[in-house]
Amino acid sequence: MSSRALRQPLGLRLTSNFFLAFWCLVAAFPIFWITVMSFKSPVDAFDGNALNVIFGPATLETGKGISILDILMGIAVLWVTARLATKTLPSMVRTYTKPGQAWFGWIIGGLALVLGFLLALFVVLPAVLNVLNPLFGPLGRDVMGLTTEHYKTVWIDRGFSNNFKNSLIVTAGVVTVSLTVGTLAGYGLARSGSTLAFWILIVALVFRALPHSVLVAGYLPVFINSAEWLRPILGENAPTLYGKPFAVIAVLVAINQPFTIWMLRSFFQNIPAELDEAARVDGCNHFQAFRRVIMPVMWPGVITTGLFSFLLAYNDFLVTSLLLDAQNQTMVPAIAGMFNRETTTTDQVVAVAAAVSITAPLFFLVMIFQRQIVSGLTAGAVKG
Amino acid sequence: MKLKTLILAGAMSVASGAAWAACSFENPVPLKSLSAGFEAWKAVTDAMAECGNFSASLDQEFREKQPEAFAANPALYQIGGVSNATLVPLLNAGTIRPLDDLVAKYGQDLLPNQLIKVDGQTMAIAMMVNAQHLMYRSDILADLGIAEPKTYADVLAAAEKIKEAGVVEYPLGGTFKTGWNLGQEFVNMYLGEGGEFFADGNMPAINNEKGVRALETLKAMTAYMDPEYLVSDSTYVQQQFQQGKIAMANLWASRAAAMNDEAESQVVGKVKMAAAPMGSAAPATTIWWDGMVLAKNMSDEEADAAFRVMMEGIDAEMVQANNDVAVWLNPAYTPGELAAGAAASAEAGAKPYPASGPMGIMHTALGNGLADYLTGAKDAQTTLADIEADYLTAAKEAGLVSN
Amino acid sequence: MNFRTFAAFVGPSVFMMLLFIAFPLVSVFKQSFYVTQPIYETVEVETCTPGFLTQTCVTEEKSIPKLDEHGEIITQTQFVGLESYRNVLEPERAWRAISEGSWSVLSTINFWKALRFTLTFTLITLPLVIGFGLAIAIVINNAAQAIRGPVIFVSLLPFIITPVIGALSINWLFRGDGILTAMLEWWLNRDIALFAQAWTIELLMMLYRVWHVAPFAAIVFYAGLQTVNQDSLESAVIDGASRWQRLKYIVIPHLMPLIIFVSMIHLMDAYRVFEEIVGFSSQGYVISLQWLTYDFLVPDQAGNRSISRASASAMLTMVGIVILLIAPLRRTWRDHKGGH
Repeated sequence: MSSRALRQPLGLRLTSNFFLAFWCLVAAFPIFWITVMSFKSPVDAFDGNALNVIFGPATLETGKGISILDILMGIAVLWVTARLATKTLPSMVRTYTKPGQAWFGWIIGGLALVLGFLLALFVVLPAVLNVLNPLFGPLGRDVMGLTTEHYKTVWIDRGFSNNFKNSLIVTAGVVTVSLTVGTLAGYGLARSGSTLAFWILIVALVFRALPHSVLVAGYLPVFINSAEWLRPILGENAPTLYGKPFAVIAVLVAINQPFTIWMLRSFFQNIPAELDEAARVDGCNHFQAFRRVIMPVMWPGVITTGLFSFLLAYNDFLVTSLLLDAQNQTMVPAIAGMFNRETTTTDQVVAVAAAVSITAPLFFLVMIFQRQIVSGLTAGAVKG
Repeated sequence: MKLKTLILAGAMSVASGAAWAACSFENPVPLKSLSAGFEAWKAVTDAMAECGNFSASLDQEFREKQPEAFAANPALYQIGGVSNATLVPLLNAGTIRPLDDLVAKYGQDLLPNQLIKVDGQTMAIAMMVNAQHLMYRSDILADLGIAEPKTYADVLAAAEKIKEAGVVEYPLGGTFKTGWNLGQEFVNMYLGEGGEFFADGNMPAINNEKGVRALETLKAMTAYMDPEYLVSDSTYVQQQFQQGKIAMANLWASRAAAMNDEAESQVVGKVKMAAAPMGSAAPATTIWWDGMVLAKNMSDEEADAAFRVMMEGIDAEMVQANNDVAVWLNPAYTPGELAAGAAASAEAGAKPYPASGPMGIMHTALGNGLADYLTGAKDAQTTLADIEADYLTAAKEAGLVSN
Repeated sequence: MNFRTFAAFVGPSVFMMLLFIAFPLVSVFKQSFYVTQPIYETVEVETCTPGFLTQTCVTEEKSIPKLDEHGEIITQTQFVGLESYRNVLEPERAWRAISEGSWSVLSTINFWKALRFTLTFTLITLPLVIGFGLAIAIVINNAAQAIRGPVIFVSLLPFIITPVIGALSINWLFRGDGILTAMLEWWLNRDIALFAQAWTIELLMMLYRVWHVAPFAAIVFYAGLQTVNQDSLESAVIDGASRWQRLKYIVIPHLMPLIIFVSMIHLMDAYRVFEEIVGFSSQGYVISLQWLTYDFLVPDQAGNRSISRASASAMLTMVGIVILLIAPLRRTWRDHKGGH
């Protein structure tokens, strides 16, 4: 490429980079800010003065703070994690897994990374720093108020780990089922030129546009009374669907289907039809062709679509809040509940900590998968 | 096996030694409850959980779920947390059981005041009362030589003085958030003016002089409030109080304790509780209660256990441990200074909230319709007429008003 | 592909959509023409509720629904035709307002108020999302290779954040003396209350939506930029085309399918705007169509809900979205016919 011809004048480059920096600031600020708030005492967290929120004098007064040394070490851990997630992890996955099983490697690698990070930041680091801080004089003195007590309240006293587990169950279920069903449908739609296929797509599109609150409110009585109306079919063991994660998974999969099949269809359309036709000439039927020829090359598109399903299931509020009871509650309704209660200011900061906690897994997910998102989209999953 | 049980029991008794002892019996029947999620419910359900085999849903969607879940057979929840308003749909559908026999059997510690009776049958057990009443910064009012406001005219005059003195950001605070909160403010004012909400046949009757006066008082107050009043709920007003930004507000009794919470409040000991200001006929407030009901669709054995667990949840021990969380209905409750406002309002003749089916619709119509008047989009007459029209449409659809 | 194979591939997906979307939809459609209500009777009831120390007992006439012998509420369902639609649209009031030429009266009628905001919201945020998305994509593509990864990561944050939490965090930043309002006040040197009038709330809601969705547009466009034909770009340079012309005649036409894709998704999502209304508690000033439906649907404290009006308002919302989608749909039809 003749780079000189395309080289940009300094002014344009500066403007472009300035805009980028500004955008990154705007994009990251709210999340950065609630993270800062979650580590402060209630008085500091809702202070009108930005500096007070950052340095947390009231938090510091209660004897909870961190030193410059702590900050430096903390940043180092964050940096190493980011580095591992974006560089080391992908190459390790590539080396240690067979091509078909890369997803498995990703899951194991991702979990190990998250666990390692949490361990390093909350267990190893405090222990090490307890020893180091006194040795470093002024560098080791507390300068900034910071407390992790809200996180303790959330995860230990409020039993948030249970909500986390429920979120994982629902999300994993939705992603798996939705991709299985959606991949088949997407392939079928992409390879069929019939008018029926077109109308299925159009109707799916209209379904996607529906306001969810209308559908969801209709489910509640049916789900609560399901034991009664399922009895003639299933006998005495008829389940009450209300409160059951699998019922919520089914609903979310259905709600998510239109988007999934649209994305996967356009992705499959970009895989040349000659590929599977050649396989069928060799004597495969459609399903065999799909398994042998299409499955090995479909992963970029499936991963990207899977991420969107993940976001939908993980972030869902309407369906999960209405159809699950407290024992199976996922994280988002649990947090919304914390805010809507007759809260004290302390409760609110606790809820902020919960909000940060729920964002953290998304953080890791995007850190690990961002390359796949871009390559999946590039490969045509969004051709429209 | 035996060793395992031993170890488990040992661990349990170490972990919750005190708690285990708190319940007088060990509950053998699996029980579930569904209630709202505010602080008092947390205290009560925690105490109930000590009896074992009990799980609580503190759910913000409880209003939507409760009628359906109680109508199922068997009911999905055995115990329900209700207030005087949310009791109505359960009562109407007949999905809760009369408690008289259980009260006779296990309810020796209950006050007669706690038994919610409908046509002579005990249908619910109340555990706490709540009411909005005046809270004010005694230091500011004393500095400016203002006496404790008794009427809304007093409140407005005091607000004017405070505004002139410029000692706080906004003289008044108010839970004026559009929707339920704003509707509640009107209900308070209108009852304070001595108004009636309905005429015969559930027809609306708020478009009158009293309604207009109530509206005018509300609007006069907004001049002294944070201009963002239409998004201010109780938590926000409470926070403004704690941060010393407001000097007076008509706030819920259950919020009083927060004013003296050292960890959050910058005005500890400076906020005084007084009776709700008078309208021209009565104190401009309503008395609410929260309590528990038992589902009809369950076995008598379950009901028996559920009632005993319920009694454990609202026993003296729980009340003593959480004395300031609410105004409890219990002999063990020591009403401190914080409860003075609620008590004074009741003494001055505050009415209970007039909960009923039509009132539910009216409250919603008020909550949605009043903002137009406060923002100046409509005048008082039109606002009230539009709210009435809104109510009529909904009431006809619900079958409460014949066409 | 014959029909049976096609059905086998598509079957499970279609089945789920039929069961959980189409079926409820049909019942919503039906409900919008019927009204189901309990039969009430008026009886005198004595109710005793706790006062502060003693009970207050009142005897009043109350409307109580009749129960049948199984203890269930007796209801009657009656066909009301377009009555519920009329109750939602309030055509007489709307027509009077229009014929008087009074915009302010029209905008106090719930449905029209909601429609006005929903359309404004959708149509204003659409070009902003596309524009910002494109700009971000181009500057990322323009940045040095080494920083692209982190920049994409940061850019995606607003998109992945849980919507309920995103709206709340904006709330904390701007509400009252929230940190950003405080900064604005300091900068402009005047008192600002962003939640005290309709236009600032609307503006905040739109900004929030653009902030939330632009990263999605950006990442899609960025992926598209990776496949721009470099040869045609170079020949354009040789032909002396300016940057602007290259963008206009090569890059944008290349991205056009993606722009339509993003627009379509955004139209659908923005048209059912709801989280913002709740998150910003803006219902005192502005409401949206989905919020209106939701408000009809949510039971009040006494358990009444307006199912019929909710159904009617949902159907009206759907009609609106179909109208908005006609243009992109026609394109899909052409593609579909042309593609095979």
